[in-house]
Amino acid sequence: MNARPQRTHKSGPRPPSLGSNLWTLLALLVLLGLSAGSALLRLGPFNTVANLGIAVIKALLVLTIFMRLKTDNALLRIVASVGFAWLAVMIALGLADVLTRTPLLPPW
Amino acid sequence: MNARTHPVPEQFDDPVQQREAATLGMWAFLATEILFFGVLFAGYTLCRVRFPEAFAEASRHTDMLLGTIETAVLLTSSCAVALSVREVQLGGRRLATALLGVTALLGISFLVMHGFEYYAEYQEGLIPSIHYTQQGVYAHGMAIFYCLYYFITGFHSIHVTIGVVLMGVMGWRTWHGAFDQDYHTPLELTALYWHLVDIVWIFVYPVIYLVGRAG
Amino acid sequence: MSTVELPLPRSYLEEGFGLRSWLLTHDHKRIGVLYGLGITFFFFLGGLAAALIRWELVTPAGDLLSAETYNKAFTFHGVVMVWFFLIPSIPSTLGNFLLPLMIGARDVAFPRLNLFSWYLYMVGGIFTLACLLLGGVDTGWTFYTPFSTMFSNSHVLMAVVGVFIVGFSSIFTGLNFIVTIHTLRAPGMTWMRLPLFVWAMYAVALVMVLATPVLAMTLSLIGLERLFGVGIFDPALGGDPVLFQHFFWFYSHPAVYIMILPAMGLVSELITHGARRRIFGYKFMVYAIIGIAVVGFLVWGHHMFVAGQSMYASIVFSILSFIIAVPSAIKVFNWTATLYKGDISFDAPMLYALGFVGLFMLGGLTGLFLAATALDVNLTDTYFVVAHFHYIMVGGAVMAYLGGIHYWWPKITGRMYSEAWARFAAILMFFGFNLTFFPQYILGVEGMPRRYHEYLPQFQVWNVLSSAGATILGVAYLLPLLYLAWSLRHGARAGPNPWDATGLEWQTASPPPPHNFDVTPTVTEGPYAYRR
Repeated sequence: MNARPQRTHKSGPRPPSLGSNLWTLLALLVLLGLSAGSALLRLGPFNTVANLGIAVIKALLVLTIFMRLKTDNALLRIVASVGFAWLAVMIALGLADVLTRTPLLPPW
Repeated sequence: MNARTHPVPEQFDDPVQQREAATLGMWAFLATEILFFGVLFAGYTLCRVRFPEAFAEASRHTDMLLGTIETAVLLTSSCAVALSVREVQLGGRRLATALLGVTALLGISFLVMHGFEYYAEYQEGLIPSIHYTQQGVYAHGMAIFYCLYYFITGFHSIHVTIGVVLMGVMGWRTWHGAFDQDYHTPLELTALYWHLVDIVWIFVYPVIYLVGRAG
Repeated sequence: MSTVELPLPRSYLEEGFGLRSWLLTHDHKRIGVLYGLGITFFFFLGGLAAALIRWELVTPAGDLLSAETYNKAFTFHGVVMVWFFLIPSIPSTLGNFLLPLMIGARDVAFPRLNLFSWYLYMVGGIFTLACLLLGGVDTGWTFYTPFSTMFSNSHVLMAVVGVFIVGFSSIFTGLNFIVTIHTLRAPGMTWMRLPLFVWAMYAVALVMVLATPVLAMTLSLIGLERLFGVGIFDPALGGDPVLFQHFFWFYSHPAVYIMILPAMGLVSELITHGARRRIFGYKFMVYAIIGIAVVGFLVWGHHMFVAGQSMYASIVFSILSFIIAVPSAIKVFNWTATLYKGDISFDAPMLYALGFVGLFMLGGLTGLFLAATALDVNLTDTYFVVAHFHYIMVGGAVMAYLGGIHYWWPKITGRMYSEAWARFAAILMFFGFNLTFFPQYILGVEGMPRRYHEYLPQFQVWNVLSSAGATILGVAYLLPLLYLAWSLRHGARAGPNPWDATGLEWQTASPPPPHNFDVTPTVTEGPYAYRR
């Protein structure tokens, strides 16, 4: 009936080790501390850069280790990146407008 | 339903194909979630460019300590649910159920802490259109910040609530042996959903709580 | 497996006859038919609103409808036609029916989700109908702020909820299609052997999945602003109405490609069959489909050239809008090249397909006028815009949809329709359509603004022509309803492959058995293996 042979290996990628999960959590909490600490330093625009940079690293850690993108199907990595890429397009082209807008005075 | 007798639906050839389809479907759904929340983050970015000072001022009115604790709670819960999936994959059941329980409890504690935050903000007069008492040049910009804040955290809290319910269901099913090494896709997908809710919060934390703290 | 000899496979239509067997079905073919019934209902409902509009515009005075009723009529027409007809039209009916058949699968990947999305569609439809019965909504289908959030006294919330719900219906359909195409292709059905209709479904599913959540959140924001009177989009409170337009068009411009991409894929099937030739430049067609889907996300700002958007952003959006004309042109050239030296038969599906190519070209080229920033200032919100997008959506998408319905009618119902009537309807539709909408280009260039129930007397000649055309068009749309319904009982029985066409869907019985194929087919060659 089926043209394909039945495949019956255990479903999913091999689980990551206990250690890698716990180290990831530790890293996330350290990054959280760094983020909170750096926010209190007077760095000017670099406050925002540092905070967002740390948030991106944290998100990548969750995506690769906890969500197993590192070991799972490559297609899933593409799907996840497309989601973020499209959001980046929306923000970038939206900013292209807001940042270059010339204020129009009302005629009255 | 026992995992060993779990039938493969007729549209699939085998369990591997079924799992591929399910995870791909979940990730596609997560991509829609990214864009769903993304609108709010894009709105935040575009408005912050227009009112940088007001956004910094408004952010200083949020509770940074509570926000930091909430972030830590969600990060820990993410680790707990990841460990629970791992445990099921290795054949465990009791510990996996316990870890799901921990996840759900951490989620609930997050919601409670957030409730306290909302209450404090209500008393301070920071909720536009319900109780808003801010005056001065920044009043409009701050109102926009707080609108976005309630929309983002409101939608996020709805997602956390759904996640807690799902954790309860998955915990119950895990306890009754619905999952084992061979079949645990629903648990895996629920964990993915929970992680994504966590990722949303990872970005909420710096943009809501940390703006203008140094100034 | 079973030792008892099974009777001949029953068709999906004979699997059960009760209402329950339809309303609880998981069969993608039945769900496609359910969608077909739903969108036909909404098409004629939206058409009724269009009839009111055209009737009002026969005379310059606003005598038939009050200004307010007129606003409600065109809003209802827009909301129903965009979200309840055009967006689900080809993907949810023909797409649902054909996609698994074309890739050699037994069903879509998530049949229950598929049924659920039909229910979401119906619930969204009920909200929209309720909104109409309560007195309608007058914001235009675009729900522009701050009018929709602060000033409109009509039932905006109800309409927004309806559209929000139907949005999730299209998200789930898109998700289902993506997963189905990725995981359930028959052995040998490689990506570069997929029929172009499947490629179009893949591209459209991507757009649905990536754009619709933006609409959902934007509509939620409108609802929340309206409920609580807060003002992210309200200039009086420091908000930015252009921000709303950014979000809205981030969805709604790609939504245009949700309507036209399936039509393009479908027409590729019709033209290869009608000319009995392989498609010219298969790979280019694929790249063009994906290119349109991706670049379609980068052009939304061309709706906002006069809305206070930064001029620099406008230039970027203008250039990107010109760029998207390239893949669209590639497709038109390739269809033409496919016809070259073909055995062209002018049967009904082919007439619809050829009509599509012509009308789509006119609609696409006038789109370039509107993408030019300077010219757009003149043409914004005139009838030129109305004519432009009707050429794409009605001349393009609806012609293709009807062509597809005719082409696959024997497969869906097992019956042949009346060829003479079908040809007559296709030709009548083409003329009726042009008579309706070509005068609107002229009206637009002469400066008649859209969305008013009155106009200056010098525009009357063209408006009368347009309304006369609309009457013909209305008749032409009713004809298929009648002769297709007639064919259900009286049409000749169709064999598995009445057209002598290629494609997996023609290798199984008409109508197909519940699980599509008795034996999962193995694919050994690319699509459109016609004589040459």
